[in-house]
Amino acid sequence: MPELSRRALVTGVTGQDGSYLCELLLAEGYEVHGMVMPGELIPTTVPAAVHLHEGLLTDSGSLQAALDAARPDEVYNLAAATSVAASFDDPVAVADVTGLGVLRLLQAIRGTGAPIRLLQASSAEIFGGAEKSPQDETTPLCPISPYGVAKAFAHQTVQLHRRTHAVFAATAILYNHESPRRGPGFVTRKITTAAARISRGLDGELRLGNLDVERDWGYAPDYVRAMHLALQQETADDYVVATGETHPLRELLDIAFTSVGLDWHRHVVADPALLRPAEPVRLCGDASRARARLGWAPTRDFPAIIREMVMADLDRLDEGGHPPGAGPAGPSPDSPPRPAGMRRSVP
Amino acid sequence: MSKSALITGITGQDGSYLAEHLVSLGYEVHGLIRGQNNPRAAIVRRIVPALQLVEGDLHDQSSLISALEATHPDEVYNLGAISFVALSFKQAINTGEITGLGVTRMLDAIRVVNPAIRFYQASSSEMFGKVRETPQTELTPFHPRSPYGVAKVYGHYITVNYRESYGMFAVSGILFNHESPRRGLEFVTRKITDGVARIKLGLETELRLGNIDSQRDWGFAGDYVRAMHLMLQQDEPDDYVVATGETHSVRELLELAFGHVGLRWQDHVVVDDRFLRPADVAMLVGDAGKAQRLLGWKPTVAFPELVAMMVESDLSAVAADRAPSSASRH
Repeated sequence: MPELSRRALVTGVTGQDGSYLCELLLAEGYEVHGMVMPGELIPTTVPAAVHLHEGLLTDSGSLQAALDAARPDEVYNLAAATSVAASFDDPVAVADVTGLGVLRLLQAIRGTGAPIRLLQASSAEIFGGAEKSPQDETTPLCPISPYGVAKAFAHQTVQLHRRTHAVFAATAILYNHESPRRGPGFVTRKITTAAARISRGLDGELRLGNLDVERDWGYAPDYVRAMHLALQQETADDYVVATGETHPLRELLDIAFTSVGLDWHRHVVADPALLRPAEPVRLCGDASRARARLGWAPTRDFPAIIREMVMADLDRLDEGGHPPGAGPAGPSPDSPPRPAGMRRSVP
Repeated sequence: MSKSALITGITGQDGSYLAEHLVSLGYEVHGLIRGQNNPRAAIVRRIVPALQLVEGDLHDQSSLISALEATHPDEVYNLGAISFVALSFKQAINTGEITGLGVTRMLDAIRVVNPAIRFYQASSSEMFGKVRETPQTELTPFHPRSPYGVAKVYGHYITVNYRESYGMFAVSGILFNHESPRRGLEFVTRKITDGVARIKLGLETELRLGNIDSQRDWGFAGDYVRAMHLMLQQDEPDDYVVATGETHSVRELLELAFGHVGLRWQDHVVVDDRFLRPADVAMLVGDAGKAQRLLGWKPTVAFPELVAMMVESDLSAVAADRAPSSASRH
């Protein structure tokens, strides 16, 4: 007789990582539940097999209800106000969702009395101003944006619950990770979409803020695999998930524009209005622990990721569909997605 | 023209000492007070008659904006918090809301109303938690061990963030434990001096305590509020550790407090595991070298003197409480 399938609840299921994680868990035989905001539009990237529940990280009662309905063995908390730049506009709301939200979720999990495992999606932004590079799990936190500060609160709250309440709560400290499903407000997607549009004559230029940043960019499907592995261990821990390589933004531009036969220097305009108040200069992660203990390794290199993203953006243009949110300025990833490619279905 | 200050947490120990200090320097002092008929308002009014109270709550950003618009402060001192570590385990969300997010609400209210207002954030040695080095300085990494500590770390980082991202004059004072006769009875120092007074006056016979081996760097609150004020008078905003640099164990505190009234603590103290808090912090001791060099600050009250001051005060308070005709305590 087959074992009863394991059950997972994923918050932030409509985001890039949510969709890849749902696919992975379904492939592993899980019954997958997703939490969505009331009235949220559900992108087609969320597999139809996912059971959806409405809930908000700002509302403890709704978290309890979602846990009661899903009865999960594992919870993956991917929900957050994910735009670092937008976090400067409303730091209180960011802290309420991204920071306190995790505390509410942990309390709701403890309230069930069940041995539910939690994976918290931490972010490299908790190291924003770190003096040491690369960073690992022992690097002192040094967040430099309201987003990073809220993520640091969440990270320490998870660690505290692990120690003092014996909750199996792990964190994946995720460095930037990209894919064709990356939100249009993120710089990688903004660039690949622009390269595609410019190559089709739909746009003439691309305006960007700081061209001098370097990032450790990985492939999102690889990163959700690390999240899942982190919950299959004997004990809960923190894991840096990163490639260990940084690439300058100029290299990203070069790969993206070259892949459509263009020279980025002729199309990119530096725009000081797009600069963030504080920008981490060099974030690079040391994923030795994840490699050693989880047997995890990235499967796709940087040029391949960027080329895949450009090709996907070209396909979307050529299919006549509107690439979600494409445009020179690019809306924040938190703004309502366009109706194209959306289905609306919450029981 | 005299300067104006707004203090949150005005009904707490530090609030009253800071208000007294600022009044003595010629400030117009406003205290933010929460709720209707807050019973502690009368107490702080009696201590600092010149204090003006204004309504507001760290839960409610628009109330903070109103308070800033009504009082036009040059300086804001954010001392408001759920400040008792043991309670923070039971009320973690409330602690995050007030002790953590309350800081952001105030900083953001200042940014909206007048970003030239100088801001002091009361940070805490509890942020160091499981310490990574001894003594702790402004550069020691944080490793908080309580919901209170985690919320204070959030408050510290967001203060630094507003300073660096918005150019605001926002400072974080990392204060180690500081005590006084006005310390709340839930804190171990005051619990002991109050217990000593009650035992001495025959009201009680025993005192139940948790870990008597824990060590702390204990200073006098009256000294520490001076450091807060000095931080906002500098040319550049920065963060400072405020501490004595000495540690003493609870055991030493017991020796001094019971010894002051001629009793032996061993005859009265019962160690009770129920008072052990989860993940008790080990060895906190601060290096206030930067505050000494740049602010010219140093403590004036030594530990034995502090304990004696607190025991004397509690003896008077307990005695007054017993006198049938006297009014309520304080």
